[in-house]
Amino acid sequence: MDKLSREEVLHVAHLARISLTEEEIEKFRVQLKVLMDDIDKIKEVKDFDDEMMYTPINENTRLRDDVVGEMLSAKVATINAPKKNGSFIEVPVMINE
Amino acid sequence: MSEFTPTIGIEVHVEIKSKSKLFSSSANTYGMATNTAVNVIDLGYPGTLPTVNKEIVRQGVRTAHILNCDITRRMHFDRKNYFYPDNPKNYQITQNRTPIGRNGYVEIEVDGVKKKIEIEELHIEEDTCKSAHRGNVSLLDFNRAGIPLIEIVTKPCIKNGKEAMAYLTKLKELLFYANISDCKMEEGSMRCEPNISISKDNNFGTKVEVKNVSSIHNVGLAIDYEIKRQEEMLNNGEIIKEETRRFDDKQGKTILMRVKETGNDYRYFIEPDIPYLDLSDEFINDSLKSLPLLPDELREKYSKVGLNSLQIEKLINNRSLNDYFLGLLKYKTNYVTAVNLLLSDVSSYLNKHNKVITDTNLSYEKLVNVIEALESGDLSNKNVKDLIDSLMETNKTLEELKKEFNIENITDDSFIKEIISKVIENNTDSVNDYKNGHDRALKYLMGQVMKETKGAVNPKMASDMLCEALNK
Repeated sequence: MDKLSREEVLHVAHLARISLTEEEIEKFRVQLKVLMDDIDKIKEVKDFDDEMMYTPINENTRLRDDVVGEMLSAKVATINAPKKNGSFIEVPVMINE
Repeated sequence: MSEFTPTIGIEVHVEIKSKSKLFSSSANTYGMATNTAVNVIDLGYPGTLPTVNKEIVRQGVRTAHILNCDITRRMHFDRKNYFYPDNPKNYQITQNRTPIGRNGYVEIEVDGVKKKIEIEELHIEEDTCKSAHRGNVSLLDFNRAGIPLIEIVTKPCIKNGKEAMAYLTKLKELLFYANISDCKMEEGSMRCEPNISISKDNNFGTKVEVKNVSSIHNVGLAIDYEIKRQEEMLNNGEIIKEETRRFDDKQGKTILMRVKETGNDYRYFIEPDIPYLDLSDEFINDSLKSLPLLPDELREKYSKVGLNSLQIEKLINNRSLNDYFLGLLKYKTNYVTAVNLLLSDVSSYLNKHNKVITDTNLSYEKLVNVIEALESGDLSNKNVKDLIDSLMETNKTLEELKKEFNIENITDDSFIKEIISKVIENNTDSVNDYKNGHDRALKYLMGQVMKETKGAVNPKMASDMLCEALNK
């Protein structure tokens, strides 16, 4: 059976910022390939364009008036954050910035 | 002369002025308490939907217009996917395939030569949250998340730091005067990212992007440094990699940040939560109605009322004085005297008190009276200096202030004549200079007359009488 290369799987994992075990890499080499084949099948549709896939609605988007609405307090805004530091949300240091 | 030709393009992000954010109704402001200008849309909560702010689309139309771009009539938004803590949705909503403006230009002038800097495209997108780094952690403030941005991308048509600086200065002036952005680089409301490559032939070399450049001047320095660095590398047989660098202004050089992810990795696709946006003629015309006069139009107008280029540039550099002066043009007066007053005594007062002219009581009527009095000689420049605080701070008329300050210029003929005779007698050298055609001597002699009278004589009268006495 066709598989993706190890490097392709690792590249996708890197973009999603997740680490994979050796077992998972092998599993995804097969599973991602199945997904990609399905996508290729969709691409075979004649006269395919983005617009078909994009929206079934013909109406124009409704524009919002430029008015300030209700906002959250810092306490509520950060309520689901795994970690807080004062009013900030704390995350592991973002590399390369 | 170097054997390499540099090719430079610049991406500029500007924060757009509006009351609310691009896709949510949170406030679009700077300086609010951490994580208080946010709602669930900005935080990327599941089940929330973005709605497009009409004013931002209008600002996009205005920007496209002033940068001479074709305006796109049917647009959609796209998702740019990436995993990074500054964006909890894991995608940024931007315009990848249907930017609101395309194929524009900004005209610059460098060393007397005019050049069009071509604009590839400009698009609307949302900003990410602001992050601050502290040791092993980063701290996130989502007030900036969803702030509307316009990104303006030039074609790779810039040749050096000087051209880049001229382009950015012009762009900033245009966006600022059109009320699109306040363009404060120090607050991050205007961010410039030049990309630089060099090549010996017609093929483009590998481009290096420079981020975090904090001023227009530094963009020029960063570009010139990068051209030199790449030349040295190629001369040493090294290979230039596609990478992102930052400019360190203390060291005056660029430093490697990261090797770039490629465009494909962003897996752009159409934002399905926002239907197509069609712009009608009516919407476009309506958006452009509120555009004020832009700098080049102002230059032309000011030149017609007799201002010289130095006065014009000084005025345009000071937005509040410029707007005030523009209002003065409705009155009939001597505009050159007006602008001289605004740029000297009025400006010193404003700087000293850290005020803008709209904070003061200097009405147009009052200013016109001062100009008339200066021209007729009822008021001397020294009088204006004495009166300036009161002119700016009180509602009193010029006449009332003259009484209060006891300004009654001496118009007694015989007294003035006496002083002039004395000055002529004591300054025979200057008198001879004047007779030999040195006009500056007249100014000196006039200065002596004013000094003798402590500035209390009517200057026009004294000047006429002095000339008469000298030409006898």
